[in-house]
Amino acid sequence: MKRLDCPFCGPRELEEFAFHKTLAEPGAGPFAAVYERANRVDLSVEHWQHLHGCRAWLLVRRNPGSGAVLEVRALGKAAP
Amino acid sequence: MRAGGPRPRYSALALLRARLAGPGYWRPLWRGARLKDAYEVVVVGAGGHGLATAFHLARDHGLKRVAVLEKRLVGYGNVGRNTTIVRSNYLLPENQHFYEDALRRWESLSRDLNYNVMYSPRGVVDLALSDGEMCDLARRGNAMRLAGIDGELFDRAALKRFAPELDTARPRRFPIQGALVQRRGGTVRHDAVAWGYARAAAALGVDIIEDCEVTGVRAAGGLASGVETTRGYVRAERIVFATAGHTGAIGTLLGVALPIETHLLQAMVTEPVKPLVNTVLVYVYPGHGETYILQSDRGGVVMGGFLDGFPSYTREGQWFRLENVVEGAVDLLPQIASLRILRHWAGTNDMTMDGSPIMDRLRYDNVFVNAGWCYGGFKTIPASGAACARFVATGTAPDLIRPYRLSRFATGHLLDERGGGPFPVRQ
Repeated sequence: MKRLDCPFCGPRELEEFAFHKTLAEPGAGPFAAVYERANRVDLSVEHWQHLHGCRAWLLVRRNPGSGAVLEVRALGKAAP
Repeated sequence: MRAGGPRPRYSALALLRARLAGPGYWRPLWRGARLKDAYEVVVVGAGGHGLATAFHLARDHGLKRVAVLEKRLVGYGNVGRNTTIVRSNYLLPENQHFYEDALRRWESLSRDLNYNVMYSPRGVVDLALSDGEMCDLARRGNAMRLAGIDGELFDRAALKRFAPELDTARPRRFPIQGALVQRRGGTVRHDAVAWGYARAAAALGVDIIEDCEVTGVRAAGGLASGVETTRGYVRAERIVFATAGHTGAIGTLLGVALPIETHLLQAMVTEPVKPLVNTVLVYVYPGHGETYILQSDRGGVVMGGFLDGFPSYTREGQWFRLENVVEGAVDLLPQIASLRILRHWAGTNDMTMDGSPIMDRLRYDNVFVNAGWCYGGFKTIPASGAACARFVATGTAPDLIRPYRLSRFATGHLLDERGGGPFPVRQ
């Protein structure tokens, strides 16, 4: 994993992005949303920010076991 | 000594005997073991914590049927991937007592294991670059001294005497103001820790099984009854997961969401040179990151820094972090600028939501987890092993590890050393 494909700026070096957190399982309560993390080796759903770029918040789906990026989309936008 | 006899104890006399006996005197550090059907305790993970737990279960609590199951090789994981630093310069009382217990045990570990782990109390130096940082270090140093831990606040002149390799007079954008020094802190040879514990545990009858991955846990009547492994099913009265770096995945295996994210931490070592760095230097520089530097006994300059910054199990370090660590190192010690990096590696870290470890039962009453060591697991190995073994053997957590229970996140008793909040990248 070397780059993320920002939906607004195109592919950029990973250094431009700031990872925020891994999301808990969908439907989790407030405690789980703050403290608990889904820890699948093959899938991680995360919030990132394009901090040193357009500053947009992004939803990133990755495979942390292989390093592959599965999807990057703007936060709040439904999958096409 | 013939094969089959007791393994030689290491001593000057043994060296002499070996000389007289000729080849064949020294034997492998631990015997190969065959996986049995059932054990009193199955420890998952033959790293520092797993081996130390097994050793203390056998030595302190007299358990005879203990196995350590390892997915790969003894010491393949983080016990062989860290930067070998040991220290107890913590701020919070709960952490101070635990890490200090570990440091005291490091001091006598070579004797306890009859294996030289090369504990080197060369001092850990936390550098301050501003008055604010000096205040912060003074606060931490005072807290340490109140807990009976050695800590000294050095001004620039005293620091120069202690670490002459530092050029404190050179004009810098952020001049070095002073440092908090823990003289008993230092380094321990990490591979020797894994081998020493494995040797000592095996000598007490612990079965160390390599190349045996745990793939599941079977349960019956509200208790775990054993583990599924790549070598078949093993019954166990109690199970300990000491798999830091992959504990999140263990939680998934047991159906428990844990307050853990798995992050990568890099380290690197240069070609060996003559003695150059006399201590462990920790350098946090404004706006950029952190570099810690020490020189290994072989002469290589070892460096590390912050986490890569996002969850990963790949053990594949990011280039920008390597660059960042090296920049800090060269800024601090310009004399190392022309050294070449020989090796570079990354390890997986269980990063918890408050930066402190987790030692508790997990889902079943007879399943224990020794996890969440963040980037500080190596230095706690002897304390963690002893406390975890007592917990598993007696069923009651010793006071030392009681603050590390899992429920602290729900009850609000967090141990957030850096005050970063529930964001592992800030711990």
